Amino acid sequence: MKKKNRIPISEKSHNSLWGFFVFLLMFAASVSQVTAGVLVAPSVIVLNDRSKTGRMNLQNPSNSPKEVSISFSYGIPESDSLGNVSIFLRDTAITYPNSSLGWIKAFPRKLIIPPNGSQVVRFIARPPKGLEDGEYWVRVVVESQEGITSIPTATDEEQITTKLNMIMRTAIMLKYRTGELIAALEIKGSELIVKDESVDVIVDFGNKGNVSYVGLFECRLLDADNKEISKNHIQLAVYRDLKRKVSLPIKAGNFKRPYSVAVSVTNKGRNDIPTNEMIFGNDLSTLLSLNE
Amino acid sequence: MDSKRKMPFVWKILVLLLSMSFLIVGSVAAQDVAVGQATATVQTPLTVTATAALAFGTIFQGVPLSVAETNTAAGIFTMTGQAGAGISLFLQLPEYMSTASGDDRMVISFSTTDCAIDTTSNVDPTVAATGWTDQNPFSLPSGVIIGGTSTQTALFLGGQVRPSVDQTAGAYTADIILTVAYNGT
Repeated sequence: MKKKNRIPISEKSHNSLWGFFVFLLMFAASVSQVTAGVLVAPSVIVLNDRSKTGRMNLQNPSNSPKEVSISFSYGIPESDSLGNVSIFLRDTAITYPNSSLGWIKAFPRKLIIPPNGSQVVRFIARPPKGLEDGEYWVRVVVESQEGITSIPTATDEEQITTKLNMIMRTAIMLKYRTGELIAALEIKGSELIVKDESVDVIVDFGNKGNVSYVGLFECRLLDADNKEISKNHIQLAVYRDLKRKVSLPIKAGNFKRPYSVAVSVTNKGRNDIPTNEMIFGNDLSTLLSLNE
Repeated sequence: MDSKRKMPFVWKILVLLLSMSFLIVGSVAAQDVAVGQATATVQTPLTVTATAALAFGTIFQGVPLSVAETNTAAGIFTMTGQAGAGISLFLQLPEYMSTASGDDRMVISFSTTDCAIDTTSNVDPTVAATGWTDQNPFSLPSGVIIGGTSTQTALFLGGQVRPSVDQTAGAYTADIILTVAYNGT
């Protein structure tokens, strides 16, 4: 049997290797936090008429202080005719009846979070009297940037240097609920756009309740024998009327035409939102025929 | 005698591995604390990070300088959160950069193709983005999601500065603001 030749490791090498591993461990631990931004939790804050106060945690996982400011804007998901969704934040001239902008307050509103530190921000609702039953919305905008910034100096008197401050904003939804709450959704219309290798399913939703309808919107492309060709789903949040688009790939295979699309919407199964914060409502389903 | 006092190399490795496991467990516990103070089922918090500032380096009077979104000097924002969740992005971009004293300003501009969005774990602007390329930073695409496997999405931004021939020498600053929100909650 052949004896394996091993390079003998001296005592000095052992210690060097040990030191190297420890260095690697510490380096890995620190590098993972070098570029982190401010972490904001939870991603939705819910207040109600029984509990008019709430809280939000801000955590700075980086090794440098972060300057944070809290402000409020109004912004709900809005869509264009093709089902593309955007959120436009508005600060002034808000005429929407479901806006709570102006009567939700945050404490503190400006703070510096030390390296690896955290801070709690508290909210209090002071709703106007005679508020109708339902849900009222505002976006909590958490703005953060490096607490200490330095402007580079030019090495030559005739030179120009620049510094662009990269400012990060996270907009969190805050919902205030009062009275009897109803989640109800309807499908106002639908459209199928057939492309070379996919089908775009655009569904026009109408919110018939007095709260935002938060759920899942799933589409399945079926062949003539109801065999599933492909499926896709997205998270859905309908505050007022909203068009949403789901794209389904047309996969090659032994599928019989004509095809159809089974659409279903439910607000059960959203395990990313605590059950006690969900307002459960109706489910929807419909079958759309594909005319190719 | 001497060998009894010293820890064998194998034991050192074991101690090291044990320490690493504690570090990992500690990290997971820290994430639990960050995710939610009272409940277990909450959406992963959305975190926006300015990974790199758009850097033009040194500029000379009368010489415009462009940085493409595919250049190493491009600005980089990364967003981490719930895998596959839809997000809305909005950039507020400056038209000018100013000196600290405010006595002079320099034009900064962004073209309709100065932005790219990558929904993989890639944060290198020089690597072709998997997602959206040549995007208008003033009208970012809808349908952006947090990367399904990486739980991360990166935004790369280029731009151009146009100093005048009599531009005052010195340091100029401006703000670039990225606003991010989940659109499915």
